[in-house]
Amino acid sequence: MEQRRGEMWALMCFLLLNWVSNVSSLSVTVTDVECVYEYVLYEGDTVSGNFVVVDHDIFWSSDHPGIDFIVTSPGGNIIHSLKGTAGDKFEFSAQRSGMYKFCFHNAYTTPETVAFHIHIGHIPSEQDLAKDEHLNPINVKIAKLREALESVTAEQKYLKARDTLHRHTNESTRKSVIGYTVGEYILLVAASVLQVFYIRRLFSKSVAYNRV
Amino acid sequence: MLAMKRDSNVPKAMTISPSLFVMLLWALSTAPVGDAIWLNLPKTGTKCVSEEIHSNVVVLADYVVVSVDDGQTAPVAVKVTSPYGNDLHHRENVTYGRFAFTTEEAGNYLACFWSDNHSSATGEIVVNIDWKTGIAAKDWESVARKEKLEGVELELRKLEGAVEAIHENLLYLKSREVEMRSMSETTNARVAWFSIMSLGTCIVVSGLQVWYLKRFFQKKKLI
Repeated sequence: MEQRRGEMWALMCFLLLNWVSNVSSLSVTVTDVECVYEYVLYEGDTVSGNFVVVDHDIFWSSDHPGIDFIVTSPGGNIIHSLKGTAGDKFEFSAQRSGMYKFCFHNAYTTPETVAFHIHIGHIPSEQDLAKDEHLNPINVKIAKLREALESVTAEQKYLKARDTLHRHTNESTRKSVIGYTVGEYILLVAASVLQVFYIRRLFSKSVAYNRV
Repeated sequence: MLAMKRDSNVPKAMTISPSLFVMLLWALSTAPVGDAIWLNLPKTGTKCVSEEIHSNVVVLADYVVVSVDDGQTAPVAVKVTSPYGNDLHHRENVTYGRFAFTTEEAGNYLACFWSDNHSSATGEIVVNIDWKTGIAAKDWESVARKEKLEGVELELRKLEGAVEAIHENLLYLKSREVEMRSMSETTNARVAWFSIMSLGTCIVVSGLQVWYLKRFFQKKKLI
């Protein structure tokens, strides 16, 4: 039993020492509160990411409070808080390892779709180099390169989400232009036809002849 | 799309059995660049995550149910739909699984989870989803075996793959920007034309009105 537990822990440690870095890129629909949890394995890791409110009601007026974004540490402290925004980037260094909670709060009842991207980057430090003989300094450089490439990928995902948002706005504008213009023409013609009928009625014989 | 409860509990003290933790770590480590988020499933209603993916992209996802109370894992049902409504993966009463597909159409791919109400689990069910698309879903083990790479060479090959993916993404963003620019310019031209046409229609209609009324009054011998 003891030996089996030892083996299990050895396997876990081996897997932990593998390079593990998390990248999340998904969308959720936020009706009231939506929380996403990610596990940070090493203390000192950089947690970076961005989010964009993609599907918001096109008639979002300027006094809409926006979406709040709150990051809570495993200890329950609020590390990062962005209020009333339609999309932003964030980055912080994780002080401790554990389960971090990323929450989106929606003040209004209309559901909003939020596309988010969370990345947890780990660069082996000198202590890790000393502990594990499989790592050599080139792994540190490779990890730094990888982090730089991840930041470019994150920026691209942000741009893609914003592109989606602008496309929704554009398509809604296009539909509005056609709809409102055709409606305007019909109303114009209907109003003038009604005017003509009304004036005819004013001069009709059934009403008093010279009343007007 | 879903009925959601207000989130109030943080799964703080989780007693996960070592074997489950190992399985989780295995799921996290077999594909170094992946997506592993934890979601809280409410007791009733579904929780969905979606991603807008363009066509011809490999999607690979693993999901594991992690329960918060007394080590029991409650079964969930999962359904993955394509933007056209086709069912790509549908399982009921499972605690873990994996699905993989290559996207055929561009659009919003939706993965929905809901709890199968057969269990008497008291707490909220926590699901760990490992969602990888594109370059992150690439099987580096088989590439390493085929080309006999290891260590630093393999890492550099992964970096090369990441750079290629960035380049592809950039070209894709550029094509999207071209589409959007043409749409904006069309809309701009349309607004100008329709405003002029509306002015023209106004003038024509009022001209017709005046002509008709003049004829009407002349017929009635009022003018």
